[in-house]
Amino acid sequence: MDFLPSDELDSLIATLRRDGYRVVAPTIDQEAIVYDEIESADDLPRGWTDRQEAAHYRLERRGDDAYFGYVVGPHSWKRFLFPPQAIMATADRTGDGWEFQTPRPDDVRFAFLGVRACEIAAIEVQDRTFLHGPYVDPIYAQRRKNALLIAVNCTQAASTCFCTSMNTGPRCHSGFDLALTEIAGGFTVEVGSDAGRKLLDRLTTTAADQTQQDAAAAARQQAVDEVARNKGMDTTDIRDLLLGNLEHARWDDVASRCLSCTNCTMVCPTCFCASVDEVTDLREEHVERRRQWDSCFNVDFSYMNGGVIRNDTRSRYRQWLTHKLASWHDQFGVSGCVGCGRCITWCPVGIDLRDEVAAIRGS
Amino acid sequence: MNSSATTSVSQLLRDAGFFSDLDDADLAKVAGIAAVEDRAAGEVIFKEGGRNNNLYFVIAGAAALEMHVPRRGTTRILTVGPGQLLAWSALLGDATMTATAVSQQDLQMVAIPADDLKTLCDSDHDIGYSVMQQTAKSLSRRLLATRLQLLDLFTETDSTKYDG
Amino acid sequence: MNRVANCNRSDPWLAHTVRIDRVTPEIPGVATYDLIFEGDAGGLSFQPGQFNMLYLPGVGECAISISGDPADGSRLPHTIRVAGNVTQELARLPVGATIGLRGPFGSHWPVEECAGKDVILVAGGIGLPPLRPVIYRLLAGRAQYGRLSLLYGSRTPDTLLYTDQFDEWRSRGLDIEVTVDRTNDGWNGHVGVVTLLLERLAVPRPENTLLFTCGPEVMMWYVLQTARSRGLPAENFWMSLERNMNCAIGLCGHCQFGPEFICKDGPVLRFDRIAPFLKVEQL
Repeated sequence: MDFLPSDELDSLIATLRRDGYRVVAPTIDQEAIVYDEIESADDLPRGWTDRQEAAHYRLERRGDDAYFGYVVGPHSWKRFLFPPQAIMATADRTGDGWEFQTPRPDDVRFAFLGVRACEIAAIEVQDRTFLHGPYVDPIYAQRRKNALLIAVNCTQAASTCFCTSMNTGPRCHSGFDLALTEIAGGFTVEVGSDAGRKLLDRLTTTAADQTQQDAAAAARQQAVDEVARNKGMDTTDIRDLLLGNLEHARWDDVASRCLSCTNCTMVCPTCFCASVDEVTDLREEHVERRRQWDSCFNVDFSYMNGGVIRNDTRSRYRQWLTHKLASWHDQFGVSGCVGCGRCITWCPVGIDLRDEVAAIRGS
Repeated sequence: MNSSATTSVSQLLRDAGFFSDLDDADLAKVAGIAAVEDRAAGEVIFKEGGRNNNLYFVIAGAAALEMHVPRRGTTRILTVGPGQLLAWSALLGDATMTATAVSQQDLQMVAIPADDLKTLCDSDHDIGYSVMQQTAKSLSRRLLATRLQLLDLFTETDSTKYDG
Repeated sequence: MNRVANCNRSDPWLAHTVRIDRVTPEIPGVATYDLIFEGDAGGLSFQPGQFNMLYLPGVGECAISISGDPADGSRLPHTIRVAGNVTQELARLPVGATIGLRGPFGSHWPVEECAGKDVILVAGGIGLPPLRPVIYRLLAGRAQYGRLSLLYGSRTPDTLLYTDQFDEWRSRGLDIEVTVDRTNDGWNGHVGVVTLLLERLAVPRPENTLLFTCGPEVMMWYVLQTARSRGLPAENFWMSLERNMNCAIGLCGHCQFGPEFICKDGPVLRFDRIAPFLKVEQL
């Protein structure tokens, strides 16, 4: 195991940028920690932390100057691999018809700095959707192939975290190029791939001594202890539990609270619903087929033949939750939920899916 | 009716799926008051608003039911075929027919005078129960079929904004 | 057929260029568009029950079942009812116009399971076009199958599709019975819902009879209830479902019905697989 001193973080970022990567990392914007392209370690939320509960998110100063002393915010890495807007195809008028083309995906190379264990799991869930089905998404495939993942092991948990219930964290085990654990003065580093090894060799590191390794273990343990104190989700037979209770009274109950606002689907790192529509120039000679994120909570999402199938909040909430926790197993062989807790934090009325599942299970 | 004719009526009823819960002896009692009737295509079996005292069990062929609406004319509302009943009003109503029945193809039916059937049912409640069950099941299937017609499932819906 | 223009797994948004070669008006609001490929693209290799996304740039795409003979993928008839934006625009296009096509998509009617068996096709209204490819394939290999029946219901006599083909199909060994929900003067045929035809159809060996049905969901449900009452086991029924299609490649989420993506797990689904979900309202 290596040790990377804090002041080498800038070298890491600079090296990546020189190699042509766009480095995306946590940074503060609009009083939240979001993911955006950064230029140096100064852009990181050093010394900040987040306080999260259902329907509540605030930033606060920490007592120390940790670079990664918070958990996850409203953004997930999906906005880079599966961009909110993208052109999927074009049509150009020719003499007597149309010429159809699909754009070559751009060759952007992202380096994600600060990926949490639940987020690695979420990316792997999205891999199943976009790469392993009968059809491949060309944009996701290209960006994913080019992406470098520098993970960060969590050293704390928010009240909304339940990664342990979903077996996705808090420890990063695989799926990364490098994994950092922050301790005083720097980071212990685990290498996860050849690309990670080669990158690390270009930085100034030392071998992590026992004190440093123990400190890292203790830091990781703090996350484990904190998440253990949280409400979890019992996922025993959850697929049959939810699909066998499609008329449960709880759906009416949650429908009386849910605003159908789509926040949960926007922040969820595995949600992938989208719509492709037409964007034409003024002369109707060049048409772009633009894909945009959509949401099963939008009223017209299930429109067909003159009517909307899911015509109330109850049926739309039921669709979202049963898809996420139950149908996803049928479709992709895993749960759609990684226990990141974003949907709980960012729901304006504080609906907590852990409570909803427990209520359906409890009766 | 002689016994071999009764046997053949029993067999026709059995083969068409009627009275499956009656044993041979009880079925023979029903068959004993029944007669086979054949109609050529185009014959009127009974008229809407008219009186008809027979209950008909269709064995083969088809009969069209029609109703008349003033100014709109006569409309065919249903085709009845083997395994189905005609003129249930003879048994359950006051024998005033609610539709006109016209044979579509060569039609074979077992006709049972409703009064004789009622007398048989009154005197033998097991047979009565079976006859009423038979009639009720037949009517419930007819009701579902009528409801499906009413739902007008093939009507195109008006679509406004979206693709499709 | 030289080259096949089937949808590429890694490039699923690329539409092929097709030309409208013929438009056949069928019934009011419904026409059949024969599409052929430009250049030497050849044609499409498709299975009965599959659909294409027909693309009108600037307007959008619509999901339409292929209603032609799978043995000839170079000419692709699509019987289309005008319903929304895209189909309205399509109805304005002349013969010779170019549109885009992506496909074929979806699961297919399992004709391969019919060998040696009796087959009942039950179609309602615009549900006959997705079944017509099955008829072509069954009749092309008629000797392999037992009894073949088509039970077809429509709203009125003047909304029956493909009636000019019935004589030929009958002569090649398909029994056809037709019914309408309501009629006017001049119809001397059956009146009533199509389930009544199924109630009376001879089914000598229910265990070895397969039933394929396509039409409004309520109709299909009652067809299947009737089939159960005739002794056919639930594993012998296949139905074609519809949902909002946007991508047709299982990646946009729109077409989900319970755990099924209608665009890739369907549209043809075996009844027993989806039975628990069919009667859940607003699923």
